[in-house]
Amino acid sequence: MTRHAICDLADLPVGGRVIAQLDPRISVGVFNVGGQIVAFRNECPHAGAPVCVGTLGAAVASSGFGERHLEHEGCILKCPWHAWEFKLPEGVTLTQPAFRLRAYPVVVEDGRVFVEERAPERRGAPRGAAA
Amino acid sequence: MNPPKKPAGAASVDVVGISARDVAQVSFADPAGARPMPGVPVIDCSVHPRPRPGELKRFMPPLWRDRRLPMGERYYYPNPLGEYLRDSYPESGPPGSDVALLSRHLFEESGVDVAILMPMTLGMLPDPDLQAGICSATNAWLAETWLGEHNAHGRFKGSIRVAPVNPASAVAEIERWAGHPHVVQVAVPMQSMQLYGNPHFLPIWRAAAQAGLPVALHTEPETGVELAPTALGYFRQFLAYSAYQPTTFINHLTNMMAGGVLDHLPELRLVFADGAWDIATPFLWRLDKDYRPMRPDMPWMTRLPSDYIAQHVRFVAHALEGPEDPALLEEWLRICDGAKTVMFGSNYPLWNTHHPGEAFRGIDPTLRGRIMAGTAAELYRLPLPVAAQEARP
Repeated sequence: MTRHAICDLADLPVGGRVIAQLDPRISVGVFNVGGQIVAFRNECPHAGAPVCVGTLGAAVASSGFGERHLEHEGCILKCPWHAWEFKLPEGVTLTQPAFRLRAYPVVVEDGRVFVEERAPERRGAPRGAAA
Repeated sequence: MNPPKKPAGAASVDVVGISARDVAQVSFADPAGARPMPGVPVIDCSVHPRPRPGELKRFMPPLWRDRRLPMGERYYYPNPLGEYLRDSYPESGPPGSDVALLSRHLFEESGVDVAILMPMTLGMLPDPDLQAGICSATNAWLAETWLGEHNAHGRFKGSIRVAPVNPASAVAEIERWAGHPHVVQVAVPMQSMQLYGNPHFLPIWRAAAQAGLPVALHTEPETGVELAPTALGYFRQFLAYSAYQPTTFINHLTNMMAGGVLDHLPELRLVFADGAWDIATPFLWRLDKDYRPMRPDMPWMTRLPSDYIAQHVRFVAHALEGPEDPALLEEWLRICDGAKTVMFGSNYPLWNTHHPGEAFRGIDPTLRGRIMAGTAAELYRLPLPVAAQEARP
């Protein structure tokens, strides 16, 4: 297991994010979601886009026929290529939780944020699983 | 072509004196090799009975009893081959009006075990109250005749006709007839001034779902109001008009999915009784492709469009559909989940009647069995019939 220093916790306020390169191949996005620090591989399970640079906003939701409202404000990461929505901190799509971002373990020690690189907690969706 | 047996009624003679009966060229017995398949149970999901002349009048609500109704057989697009099978014309009365003739063709000569009846109701009329009156009369007529005095054998099952333009009356008709022992579905015209995902129609779909009755959509050949068959206007020929009809089902289906009707009513079942199984699948691919990024536009729609089909939609296969090569037909049926979603319907006595002996010949017998009866038996909660051809000596 390799531990990568990302930033000072003070530089990652609620709603903030840092994009970091773990090695020449692996980019991650580290997010502070309501005080919870999470990290995901910067690669969309759909088509490989740098998903972690997408916008963070709300989801349009519905409580029933014809009703619309916003929810999960600041927790919906929208992929910049095809607008797939991932809910943070879980990293799952809203309608098909099987499609999810690849998460990396995060450690906060002495005011510093670290990402650990090892066998991922979750694997992304299988290749070619959906459009 | 047979010589005309009797003068047709004035209603079906055009301005140069040609009657629908005179031009009827397609025969029920024509298809090569069309004969019953022994041992194969058949539920015919699309049979169109019709009142005898004058018969509907006493069932009409008093307000409308003396009202003249529009008449005609596809006013803008009269079928050059005739609207009905040549041999479906009884000695008197229009095709589909003679119980004995229809029973002989379907039950005795073609191996049909159960016939799901869907009488026609003039499609769209400008007056929604008149439309509702016709539906109400049609239901009372069907219950007393085909589902009543002519149904000692129980092989006729019926549809509740409702006028979607009049939701209150439609709900009342569903509540009035849902408990009838031989009623198995609600039926609406394919033609509509608005797509069926419009919230205006929701009470009808809710009433059907609550009654446990599927809703069947079928093109009405005698519609009063005839909208342009494409958004760009009118085809010149009947062939194009006819081939294009099922795309309207796709329009309704898409609007109902994206409008949230299917999420709101998980028990709702839709029967596209005039086909489109073969063209629906590629269209669903297109919808799936863009569903995820478009999801915020319809947050009530929680699944991929193609995910709704197996739960909510059945297609009654139409004679003109699918590839002719049986191997390719079987492959396409598998791609389209045909074992779950496709049901046989003859469309008798219309000109394009699908002879049950001809339908889906040469494909895998298990798959064919699903289409000819299995899926319909599940949908309509009917016992899977013992094949008529086995049951009879």
